[in-house]
This record gives sequence, C-alpha cells and structure tokens, in this order.
Amino acid sequence: MAGKPDVLVIGAGLAGLTAAWQALTMGKRVRLIAKGWGMTHWHAGCIDVMGEGVDDDGGISDSAGHAMAGTAAVQPDHPYAILGRPKLNEAIDSFAQLCRAYEYPLVGNAGKNWMLPSAVGAARPTYLAPETMIAGDLTDQRPMLIVGLSQLNDFYPGLMADNLNAQGIPAAAVTVDLASLREVRHLNPVMVANRFHSLTFLDEIADAIRPHLNGAERVGLPAVLGFEQPIRVKLELEQRLGCQLFEIPTLPPSVPGIRLHRILVQEIRRLGGVVQEGFEVVAAEISGSRVLRVFSEAGARQKSHAADVFVLATGGILGGGMVAAQTGDIKETIFGLPLSGVKAQQDWLSHEYFDPQGHAVFKTGIRVNRDFRPIDETGSQFAENLIVVGTTLAHCDPLRERSMEGIAVATGFWGGRQAASNESS
Amino acid sequence: MNPVELSLQNCIKCNICVTACPVAAVTDLFPGPKYEGPQAARFRGSDQPMPDSSVDYCSGCRVCNMVCPTGVKIAEINAKARGGMVAAGAVSARQRLRNNLLARSADLGRLAQPVAPIANAILNNRLVRIVTESVLGIAREAPLPSFSRLRFSKWFHGRPKTVSAKRQVVFFHGCSTEYYEPRVGQAAVAVLEANGIEVIVPPQGCCGLPLLSNGEFDAARDYHASNISSLLAYAKQGIPIIGTSTSCTLTLKEEAPELLDYYGEDAQLLAAHTYDFHEYLLELLEQGELLMPRRPIPLTLAYHAPCQYRAHRIGRPSLEIMGLIPELNIIESQAACCGIAGTYGYKREKYQIGMDVGRPLFEFVNSVGGSVAVCDSETCRWQITHATGIETVHPVELLAAAYGYTGCDRVEKAIAGS
Ligand code: SF4
Ligand code: SF4
Repeated sequence: MAGKPDVLVIGAGLAGLTAAWQALTMGKRVRLIAKGWGMTHWHAGCIDVMGEGVDDDGGISDSAGHAMAGTAAVQPDHPYAILGRPKLNEAIDSFAQLCRAYEYPLVGNAGKNWMLPSAVGAARPTYLAPETMIAGDLTDQRPMLIVGLSQLNDFYPGLMADNLNAQGIPAAAVTVDLASLREVRHLNPVMVANRFHSLTFLDEIADAIRPHLNGAERVGLPAVLGFEQPIRVKLELEQRLGCQLFEIPTLPPSVPGIRLHRILVQEIRRLGGVVQEGFEVVAAEISGSRVLRVFSEAGARQKSHAADVFVLATGGILGGGMVAAQTGDIKETIFGLPLSGVKAQQDWLSHEYFDPQGHAVFKTGIRVNRDFRPIDETGSQFAENLIVVGTTLAHCDPLRERSMEGIAVATGFWGGRQAASNESS
Repeated sequence: MNPVELSLQNCIKCNICVTACPVAAVTDLFPGPKYEGPQAARFRGSDQPMPDSSVDYCSGCRVCNMVCPTGVKIAEINAKARGGMVAAGAVSARQRLRNNLLARSADLGRLAQPVAPIANAILNNRLVRIVTESVLGIAREAPLPSFSRLRFSKWFHGRPKTVSAKRQVVFFHGCSTEYYEPRVGQAAVAVLEANGIEVIVPPQGCCGLPLLSNGEFDAARDYHASNISSLLAYAKQGIPIIGTSTSCTLTLKEEAPELLDYYGEDAQLLAAHTYDFHEYLLELLEQGELLMPRRPIPLTLAYHAPCQYRAHRIGRPSLEIMGLIPELNIIESQAACCGIAGTYGYKREKYQIGMDVGRPLFEFVNSVGGSVAVCDSETCRWQITHATGIETVHPVELLAAAYGYTGCDRVEKAIAGS
C-alpha cells in the first residue's frame, strides 16, 4: 500500500489490531503503526468481558448486563454502556468467528464465565477461552495432574496444585524431564511451543507424563501447545494419554496471546493492510478541528504520518499510552488529550494492594462521546477525525472489572468501523 | 548517561524481545536480547568483571528494538558491550584480525579493485577459501562479493558533468557501490538526473558500520570523523546526503553518534541531512516533484526490507516508490532477517547460524520465484543469492529501468524473460 492511508491506527494491542481489521473490512486503506508489540504478548489469550460481579446465572449477557445494569447505573459513560449490549455481543462474536476461521476456536461457556486456573491455581473468570484451555474449568471437580517441564523455570506445578487442593479441587503435580530439552539454556514458552511441530516431541512428552497419571482425568500443561495447530496438538496428546488436556497461561511471553496477535496480523495483511512496529509516535499536528499528521521518533529526524482518520489505541498507564510523572501529572503521550479521574499522587494507589475498589490511577482515562471521539469535561470534541479505543478510555477499570480484552475488542471493533465511516451519530 | 544506557531502565522484563530475536531462535549459544541487553548491562559497570562473552553472538539485526514495547535500545547495548570486550582485550588477536579484514571493506577494496580479475580469482578459489577458513575463520561457503572492474567514483567523475540550479544532492555511495556493485550507483545517478537533480560525489570513506558491529570503536571513530569533515560543507549548505546503502545511511544518521557518543554539532548536522535514497524520493513524491515512471515492468518479485532499513524507522519508502512502477507486483517478505547481518554470517562460527536465521526468508524468496529478488542492502542481497540461487537487485535498479534506463542488466534480462 503506497501513499496516505485512509485510517492510521496507533498501537498494536488487541484494540488497535481489532480496529485495523474492522476498518479494512469496510474497504478502507489502513496502516497500523506501533512502538513495539503490545499486550497480546503477555496476556492469557482469553477474552475477559466482565469478571467481577458475575453471579450464578452470570455470563456475557448477564456479565455485560451487569456492566450496564450495575456499572452503567453508576457509570453511564462506561465503554460498554456507550456501546450497548447488542453491539458488545456483535463485536465479541465476530472476534470469535475470526479465530474460528483460523482454526483456533475461542469458546464461550453457554453464557457464563469459565473459571479457569491461573498459573498459581487461582480461579480466573473469563468469557471466551481457546478450546485448548477449557478442560481446566474449576467448576468441575474432576482430578487433575499439573505438569511442569524441568527446563521451563517460570512455571510452578507444585504451588499451583497446592492452591487448587486448598480450594477443594483434587490436583497432583509433577515436573517431567525431557531429554530433548536438557541441553537448552534459557527455555521460554515460545521455544517449547515451536517444538510441537514435531511428532517426536509429542511422543516424548506423552511418554514422560503417562507414568504419572495416577487416575487423573485431565492434565494441565503450561500453554505451549504450538502456534500452527494447537487444537491438533491437544487432540494428539489426549489420544496418547487417554485423558483430557488443558493449557495454563504462563508468565510472558504468552503463547496463547501471541496466537491472537498472529491471527489478527495475518487477517489485516490478507485484507491489504499494513502493520509496522518500531514507530513510537510522539507528536501530532492539528489544524482547527482536524488532526493532519502524527510524528514518530526515528533515526536523525521524526517521520511524519498523514491520514484521513486516526485511531489512538496506545493503552493506558500499563500499555504506555499515558505516563505519570512524580508530580502527579498524568498525560496522554501523543495528543496531550484531557484525562478524567486524575488524582493527586498520594491518591493514585490504595494502601491495600488487593483493594476490591482497585487503584484510582488505573481509572484515569480519556473521555469520549458516543462516536469514541475524545472530549473535554464540557463535552466539546477534541478533533473530528480522531477516535480513541481500548483500555485508555475513561470510566472503566479494566484490571478490577476483569474487562481488559472485552473493552479492547469491543471498542476496537466499533472504533475501527467508526473510523472507516467517520460520520457523527 | 547517553540514551542507550538510559533506555535499559525502561525494561519491564516482558520477554517480547526474546520471542522475536532470530538468533536466539536458532542457537543456544545466544540466550537472547533481554539477558544480553538490559539484564547483563547492569553487570557491565567499569569496575565489574565481564559477565559473559556470548553477547558476541548478537548479530545486531535490531529486530528486538523494533518489537520492544518500552523502547529499550537492546541492539546498541549489545554493540557497546562488544566494544567493551574488544577494548578490554577479551577478543583474541586472531579473531580481531579476521574481524578487521571483514570490516575494512574500504581498505580491501582500494587494494583489490584495481586488480579485480586476479583478486576475484583468488577469492573464488576453493583452496584459498579453505585456508582462509582454517587460518582466519572466514567461512568458506559464505558469499564473498566480487570486485568490480569499474570503480564507481572513477566512472562518475569520468562522465560529462551535469549541473542543475534546481536541486543538488550528495550521493553517499558506500563501499559496496564503489568496489563491488557500481551498477547500483549508476542506477541511482540515472534516477536522480532524470528528475533534474545534480549529483555530487565528494571524496568519502567507509561509514564505519562494519567496524562498529565488530566492536572496533576507535577505528570507526576515525572513519566517522573523516566523513564528517568531507561532507559537512554540503550539510551546511542544506544539501541532502543520500545513499542507496541502508546501513551506511543509518550509521551516519544514528549508529555512529549513539555507539561512539559522538554527539557534536557537526555530527548532528550531518545526521540531520542524511537520507535513505527512497526516503528522499518519497519526500519529492509528497511535494509532487517526483517524475512518474512510465515503462511497465510486468514482473512479480519478492522484496525483503533489510533489518538495517527497518531500523531507520521510516516505514518502507522503497516499497512505496516501487508501487509507482506500472505492472510491477512486489510481494513483501515478513521474515525477520536474512542472517548475514553485515559481517556476521561470514564468520566460521556464525555462518550456519546466519543460514538458519535466514531460512524463512529463503523459503519465501523461493516460493515467490521470479527471475530476480529485491533488497536494499548489499550483504543481504549476496546472502539471498547465495542461499536461493536467485539474483538480487536494489529497488533503485527497478525504478531506473522504469524510467527507461537500460543499464541494469539483471532487470533487463528479467523483463526480456517475462
Ligand atoms: S522487549 Fe523490551 S521491555 Fe521487554 S524484556 Fe525485552 S528489552 Fe525488556
Ligand atoms: S540485535 Fe538481533 S540478534 Fe541481537 S539481540 Fe537483537 S534481535 Fe537478537
């Protein structure tokens, strides 16, 4: 693609990638630039829509319903409230469909959240999970065996099993030693995942696990079952072991997160879009009510990027889209957009690390109107061709709500479409 | 503290760089960017012992820099560590001799080019290659280029001078165009002159990158100083300095200042006026000043943007310019690196690593097929040809051909065969 794109997306997390994908499906010329790879490489690869406040008949309809009925009552500007339930459902469903088309089904649990084990054995509510993870659901009491690999240092099966047992889930742990990994220094999940292309490795790992099954009905492995065909790897291993298998998210780099990244990037490129990393956008040129161009840091001089519409998807404090100074000043890094919820520095963090109310600093964000265009406290629009998506948005607390990916996908989806049409509602 | 050292404080240990590093993916000799870069750098203080010499296995491809979400300058941290090893005497004399031979392409060229046929015959001799491998450690299979019978600057100054009041540029030809592939420089001159631009080729030396990536910082500093003194006058007049070698221009822009702490006013002025060839053409295009190519080139070709080019962080200007050529269909590689990384893949102990790193690229080039492949960087071109048997050209050769210049043999042959 040469020349000026119709839509320039800044940021390569789930929100930015989803926005680029959607703008492309609407026939636009799209370029996505990012400082580096985003949160996809360190998150669990599941789509959490709303984890907090889920009740017995919870699930997306109800958890999103909770978001709107419960959260929306107190927080009518929450991104989910702006979108409304049908749009939220459509975005999440389309995303699941995309993954299915790439033979990597993300499955929902009949309207409820899954309760999947985290790497330390805590129950992790999530709405959509890859098929490789769901046999680990903790609402089901079947005994499990958690398997570690002796060279993969950052995974602790013993700790995990202890925590599961404490919650009443029968779990045993074993760490297996694979001859083929013995010589490898510094093994990480991606390196193990790349080995699953070979059937010999599959056989080796199955043979190593088999003697330890001891009646376990399911086996949990760190999430390393390959990139190309993880579902097939899972089935092959299940066949060899005679029981179900599930993946457990690891410390970064996270293989299931990278799978989502790869699917989106492949789809964007298939549709003729461009994805380029290494561009740290640092400034913008604005004339009247329009953003004309943004500038990225480069060798010797800044590089300018013009476009008709810009989508800002740089994330919040965690993603680097906002920076906080010692002085208590919090800034959006490119446009200097007005932020809501800014507190004095001593009020950023609660004194309780696990405070159920969360930490104030993570609620800081960019206010937007119904079209996802940034506005100030008086409601006046910052620019007519700038759209903001993802967890950089105000009036939500993705960490506490466990709504990180849901917000990213849903606002990315509709923000991307909004950018493609760029009409005011 | 300079920006390279400062940047290590930004590391959040996310491991993203480790998943992207093409060298760590194929060898256990290199534990990866995070460990070698921001982590080991903490133990490389002046009063501390050297933590580990495996940093020498970093190829300097900068793939890690491009994906790091927090802007850590990992490749530069590693290059500085290697510089530290050389300065501290931690690299054997034999290795340094080998590295210097590989890195001093200008000196070698000056000696060998006048006797090109003899030099080439010697360098292509299998026995000689076996001996240089065992004595010096230069891999016998690695794709050494052939010296050209024509020296670019000689050719340039031997032709009638074209003058333009409208625009002038300085052409930085680099060692490869000067001694091995003058055809690239000739194509560049054809393109510039077709646009009514006067080309100036002042005396110039090696940019110093090969020395920088071998940790020979003192020698590299001399080269950079000498280039500044010969090019500064032009920069002061506001004349852009443009080059077809993506690594030379990156060195003048950023690598030399960053690695050598060379931040004087003169160095900055030179950097500010240095452009990649197609980066400059893209600016002309945006100003509506670029001549549109009219001759169709009905070919489907594989294009690889070299890591050195990506490291400019200017996108893919040559891809955009090639997009203007009628009927030309370019397919871009998504492979990380060709593996040669300047002088890296020539070293006996690294040759196979380089070939393994490049495998996805070679598979891509083979799958696209085509009579030539396209790449902006010389050593990458040689590596691609070495691994695939497919000849490679610089994008400027295609543009020149599309302007009607018929001096690019490889392109003409490809068009004739289509
Ligand atoms: S990608 Fe950057 S931040 Fe992440 S571990 Fe590597 S150097 Fe550190
Ligand atoms: S520069 Fe290339 S080889 Fe060196 S650490 Fe970075 S990615 Fe790896």
